[in-house]
Amino acid sequence: MIRESDDVIVRTVARLLMPFITLYALYVVMHGHYSPGGGFQGGVILAAGFILLVVTQGIDRVKRRMSQEKAIIFSSLGLLIYAGIGALCLILGGDYLDYGTLGRPLSVQRAEARSLGILGVEIGVALGVMAVMCAIFFAIFTPDQKNGRREQ
Amino acid sequence: MEVTLLIEATESAFKILEDARNHAAGIMDTTVELMAEESRVLRDKKCRAIFTGAQRRKTRFHNFMGTAIILFIFWSLLSGHFDLFHLVLGAVCSLAVSYLFHDLLFVNVRIGNLRTMAWRFLIYIPWLLGQILIANMHVAALVLRPKMPISPRIIRFKTKLETDISKVTLANSITLTPGTITIDIRGDEFYVHALSHMVADDLYGGEMEDRVAHIFMEGDHLYLQDALDAARIYETLGV
Repeated sequence: MIRESDDVIVRTVARLLMPFITLYALYVVMHGHYSPGGGFQGGVILAAGFILLVVTQGIDRVKRRMSQEKAIIFSSLGLLIYAGIGALCLILGGDYLDYGTLGRPLSVQRAEARSLGILGVEIGVALGVMAVMCAIFFAIFTPDQKNGRREQ
Repeated sequence: MEVTLLIEATESAFKILEDARNHAAGIMDTTVELMAEESRVLRDKKCRAIFTGAQRRKTRFHNFMGTAIILFIFWSLLSGHFDLFHLVLGAVCSLAVSYLFHDLLFVNVRIGNLRTMAWRFLIYIPWLLGQILIANMHVAALVLRPKMPISPRIIRFKTKLETDISKVTLANSITLTPGTITIDIRGDEFYVHALSHMVADDLYGGEMEDRVAHIFMEGDHLYLQDALDAARIYETLGV
């Protein structure tokens, strides 16, 4: 069980940096098709932000924002977005993840539809990566109920 | 004889009935009073709850909007694309992040004073840069002299700062200034490593601490209270 850090500098600076880390992660996700970055990198930065918050503020105070249950739901949601956009392209008559076919229902050019489709897929990937990283972290650092009872 | 007895009995019965009625009326009156009082108390409590709730909501809204604006500026600096699509993306992202984390950026802040604090903080930065420049010269002069007259030491001093954020500002200012490094803060005590006698004396002088207290309005309140106390003493003395 991780408790609140007793160092006031670490605690306060982590608290102040947290919104900026999250926004930076979103920036990396959203600009993945212009500059280095993308869903995986942005998702890892998002997860790193949550892990920083857990390490400094203690696991109890972060529970409201991110917990194991939420992480599992979000990882499924990310996968659903990714696979859903791919399947949508398939339904609209293209190949799997052929974003060009999304142009007709969105009433935009094919090239623009590709850009938007990639953005959607990246958001899905980022959600999935963030949630899985958080889930792994929580699985390692929350005490298992059964094992705890057995030790007593 | 029997008739008189009967009349007396009837009269006493009537008297008892009258008493009972008066009694009941009194009880009814007090009940009504009590109920009125209770409802008044309840209404007051409700009013107060509405007021404090509104206050809390207002504070939360201020925090939310402040965080969102700061984050949107940060996004614009990062992004560099200023077409409509990217600006809308940035606005959506910063609103979402500030919805999630609006209680992290501004904690322990007395809301009315936020603007003054930001202004004082902006004024503090050039002063800090000047101090860093002076300390750089000092450390360079120490190190470049062939004898290298440094006298490293760890000093400990008690601070008058109260909130976390002001303590962290002071600690980071000390660390940024060459020659001094904050090692630890335990409660009210700072443990600082200083390179020479002079920088340690500077720290003991406490000018930086005064300035940080001034930013976060912690020293000022104390000084105002001192002045008021002194005024009261002078008044009683009749000076």
